[in-house]
Amino acid sequence: MATRGGTIGLVMHSPWSPDASDAQARMGEALAAVSRLPRERTQLLPGFLAAQEALGWLPRAAVEHVSEHTRVPVAEVYAIATGYSELRLTPPEPGAWYVCTGVACDMAGAGALLEATPDRTRAIDCQFLCALAPVVHDDAERLYGRVTAEDLQARLAEAAS
Amino acid sequence: MTRVSPTPALARLRGDFPPVGRARVLVHRGTCGNAVGAEAVAAALRASMPGAAIAEGACDGACWAAPSATVQREAHSHRFARLDRGIPDELAACLAGQCDDEYAGRGEYGLLERVGRNDGSFGDVIGRGAYGAAAMAATLRPEQVIEAVAASGLTGRGGAHFATAQKWRLAAQHTGQKYLVVNAEEGEPGVFKDRHLIEGDPHRLIDGILVACRAAGVDTVFVYVNGQARNARAAFERALEDARAQGILDGAAFGGDPVTVEVRSGAGGYVCGDESVILNSIEGQRPVPRYKPPFATDEGLWGRPTVVNNVETLCAVSTVFDSPPPPTKLIPLSGAVSRPGLYEVPIDGNTTWTGVLATAGSAPGLVPGILLGGPSGRFVTPEEYEVPLTMRGLGAGGAVVLPRDADIAEVTRSLAAYNMRESCGECTPCREGTQRLVQLLEDVPANRERIAALIETLTEASLCQLGGMAGRPVASALESFPEAFEE
Ligand SMILES: Cc1cc2nc3c(=O)[nH]c(=O)nc-3n(C[C@H](O)[C@H](O)[C@H](O)COP(=O)(O)O)c2cc1C
Ligand code: SF4
Ligand code: FES
Repeated sequence: MATRGGTIGLVMHSPWSPDASDAQARMGEALAAVSRLPRERTQLLPGFLAAQEALGWLPRAAVEHVSEHTRVPVAEVYAIATGYSELRLTPPEPGAWYVCTGVACDMAGAGALLEATPDRTRAIDCQFLCALAPVVHDDAERLYGRVTAEDLQARLAEAAS
Repeated sequence: MTRVSPTPALARLRGDFPPVGRARVLVHRGTCGNAVGAEAVAAALRASMPGAAIAEGACDGACWAAPSATVQREAHSHRFARLDRGIPDELAACLAGQCDDEYAGRGEYGLLERVGRNDGSFGDVIGRGAYGAAAMAATLRPEQVIEAVAASGLTGRGGAHFATAQKWRLAAQHTGQKYLVVNAEEGEPGVFKDRHLIEGDPHRLIDGILVACRAAGVDTVFVYVNGQARNARAAFERALEDARAQGILDGAAFGGDPVTVEVRSGAGGYVCGDESVILNSIEGQRPVPRYKPPFATDEGLWGRPTVVNNVETLCAVSTVFDSPPPPTKLIPLSGAVSRPGLYEVPIDGNTTWTGVLATAGSAPGLVPGILLGGPSGRFVTPEEYEVPLTMRGLGAGGAVVLPRDADIAEVTRSLAAYNMRESCGECTPCREGTQRLVQLLEDVPANRERIAALIETLTEASLCQLGGMAGRPVASALESFPEAFEE
């Protein structure tokens, strides 16, 4: 458990819901994972990644904890975090699917996938699985290759049910 | 070609792991296979062949075949493709020895030799050539190691093709704390070679790392792995544990000085593959490029001399003591071919695009062009298909084969838009110029003079090669496919 009661306290202010204790536990886990790292600037990115692994994104409390733990000012820590496209400073959309629109996937029909599922899919860049184009991933970053519009619609329907 | 013979220390270590010899089915469960149902295939194989030896390994580079499995029986190796369509009876027959087909397409030696042909365990690779180079290097003086690499002509496979021996020499002349950073960021769209090498044969990378450390006098290594390449990271960490347990990292197994290896994950961004951005990232600074000079070999991590090498480069290092060392290049090939995947081709003056396209199942006559090098690349046109491939000309090697009806202007716009999104904003020519380039590409017909002037500014004045090369595919498209930009 993290030693920083103050930061954890931020979570306790969140409105009560059946998930709140779960969210609090995950925040505790995230802060503890950061606290286990050496207290050095070089651990900034490992700290972000450890927190994001536990939480799915980087809420303010987690960023502040990384800042305190590495003793790097919070403004600077934010400037660094925003430099990485895979660090999420806003919560992910649950249930969203991501369609690669890199050159290989585009030519293999990524556009048709997006058109067939307009509300639930977002365009993303190359996923480095170009030989299995077109490629999509779900909100847990599980990759699927050679996807057809029918496959994707079926997966979306399955996920919604 | 003759492979370097094992040193006595290596021969002893190999003696601890006698080959098992039992025929087995190796299911290719790398990132590629798993994305197209290899998990279900593995389960189906286990259910249909109770008692058979069924192992799991990574993708063998034949991504087109996934989900697939290879029957391995002594020297016999037979891949069965697209097992999602059903498991053929021939597979069980082959395992039982009733089959003499042998699939062609991959040479005996090369960086892919063990990739997707082992189950990830140490015992499965040590008897098949692993650590030959590290064991050899430990018996040589650092200058001798550098000489061997220089003689092999090895150049950096990250794309810039700087002479590897020269880079090591620059670092070797410094004393005190030095670092090796392994660039496993692999963030160039269209490139998937380093992931395959690490997932499929991480011990080859460690072999190369140890040789580099010996040559440049380095004892501390950071391996910077693309944040999304989780399977690669996991495979590498497992291999590192095994190597450590065998005394390979602390000098106990082969002699030589101990090295410590730390794995770091990146977090996205094309520019994060630039070596100076990686140095900033590891230090905990903003992930933007540094001014060069000073070069990393003089002032790298925390101001200390640092060698940055690409994964494929270090894997190629593992072959430099073979005579003659095989100069091969990995080509991640995708697009309009029937067998997209990772190809390893000899760069010996005989390999051409015509040959590569034919191997990948495409009729060169139907291919209007190949995008080589993604957003920093250019278009190869049919006039070049017969010209022998060169190492430098291939860059990092990522190739997307265009279909007959390709909309070249649209592809060009999407590459320009990608560079605009990925511009880190640190320098004005690229921050403003990549946006302006996207706007200019919307005009039909294209205003060639203004585009040329803008590209000149990007090329000359950008801080790093993201901006420096951003105009390259645009200039290439305008030159090779002028009609695509007319009314
Ligand atoms: C925008 C940009 C992206 C790059 N991406 C990579 C990459 O993903 N992998 C890589 O090894 N080198 C990449 N490089 C090249 C590295 O800066 C560096 O030259 C290379 O890692 C050196 O290793 P080598 O000499 O073994 O090739 C990139 C360079 C730039 C400018
Ligand atoms: S060229 Fe582009 S990516 Fe490189 S430093 Fe300048 S703005 Fe950043
Ligand atoms: S273009 Fe889609 S995975 Fe590379």
